[in-house]
Amino acid sequence: MRSTSNLIDLLAADAAPVRRLRPPMVRAACWLLLAALILVLAASHHGLRPDLATKLTQPVFVTGIAAAMLTGVLAAVAAFMASVPGRSRRWLLLPVPALLIWFATIGYGCLTDWVRIGPAGLSPGETASCFATLMMVSLPLSFALLIMLRYVARLSPGPVAMCGSLAIAAMTATALSLLHPLDATAMILMWNVGIALLFVSVSGRFADHLFNWVAPR
Amino acid sequence: MNSPECCGPNPGPCQEIRPDAAKGYVTPKIYLRDKRFLMTQNSGMSTQAHRRDGKLSFVSDTQKSDDADRPSEPAARRPDGTADWSVAMARAQEGDHEAYRRLLEAITPYVRALAARQVRNRSDIEDTVQDVLMTIHAVRHTYDPARPFGPWLVAIANRRIVDGLRRRGRVGSHEAELDPEQETFWPSEANLQEETVDARAVRDAIERLPAGQREAVRMLKLEEMSLKEAAAASGMSVAALKVATHRALKALRKLFESQGRNS
Repeated sequence: MRSTSNLIDLLAADAAPVRRLRPPMVRAACWLLLAALILVLAASHHGLRPDLATKLTQPVFVTGIAAAMLTGVLAAVAAFMASVPGRSRRWLLLPVPALLIWFATIGYGCLTDWVRIGPAGLSPGETASCFATLMMVSLPLSFALLIMLRYVARLSPGPVAMCGSLAIAAMTATALSLLHPLDATAMILMWNVGIALLFVSVSGRFADHLFNWVAPR
Repeated sequence: MNSPECCGPNPGPCQEIRPDAAKGYVTPKIYLRDKRFLMTQNSGMSTQAHRRDGKLSFVSDTQKSDDADRPSEPAARRPDGTADWSVAMARAQEGDHEAYRRLLEAITPYVRALAARQVRNRSDIEDTVQDVLMTIHAVRHTYDPARPFGPWLVAIANRRIVDGLRRRGRVGSHEAELDPEQETFWPSEANLQEETVDARAVRDAIERLPAGQREAVRMLKLEEMSLKEAAAASGMSVAALKVATHRALKALRKLFESQGRNS
């Protein structure tokens, strides 16, 4: 083991100029711009859902979409803010109110629609199409976020990765709700709550491996 | 750490970092234990916690005597004469090696004190300090000079300390330390005692060989004589010596193999 003073000399000799990180809000805005661009691309490629105009007159649907989008925005801001050392980790709580509203609207929709539609609302064709949209939206956003936050690899990345994943899941759910006619209760649950839980749990479990992959120590 | 004796045997400034849980930062407190050391080093270290924009910022006026001889710019100072670590880090980000070296030297005691609050083993503390310094080096671009330096440093140090504790906990849960009697060493000098026992066993076995074979082994193997020398000394022919040695080694091998099976 080398001595600490030797290490300091080595590090000082290696002190090449570095480009400072841009403010977290600016970086969050860049990522959100990318998310908006991907949503527009997905909409132009797939087309909006046919009954969107009708749906936009329903307060529950509008509230759900707005809450999901707000969750995505706030979770992205929180992830970028909390990723900088010295900033309070309480920023990670920022998306919680929007997340509660989003899940509450889903829960309300489930309660009212369950009786009307029932559990037999799964359509395999739409599921495959939804999966394609899911990959198209979430993969580029995930890679962009991983690369933009790679410096947290050595700074307990779990909570930041989970918050970032929530942002990706919320943006993906927004895209799915706008592009696909998800009216069956099981479909709505799967493509909203399921995605959020899956992304957040996978990132919480594998955050170290993911960040080590993009930023080897 | 509750006493000035907490910093180990080395003379020098000793410090205590006290957590202020209510406000989420730590307050450093310095004990000057050996003034003579400070005088001979021509360095003083008085550390204060400064507030800037409502946030904590650590500052130190540590300055080594030989720093004055270096061509680098002098350490940035606050109006009250203390060194400004925010400015030092900003210079380090721009590639000022000397400012960076001074900064790392100045923050090392703080990091060590933070680590000592959580880690008991002295070598583990030093490992943790080095880990924190390397992390600071890797993420030094994340520091914003417009914000105070203290929370940035403490956040990095705390995360690395906790990571180190978890890592050591994982390793300790499925690894056991070896006792001295379980240790073996590759160099033969370390195993003389065992070799002595082996040599005695070989000599005893040779004594039990028939006289001709015993003489052949003694001359050719133990005294390392050549065949001609052994033939001249014993009066036996070279061929007879070869046969006797071959049979002796065969008998010894058989003897030790049977001993190994019995043990």
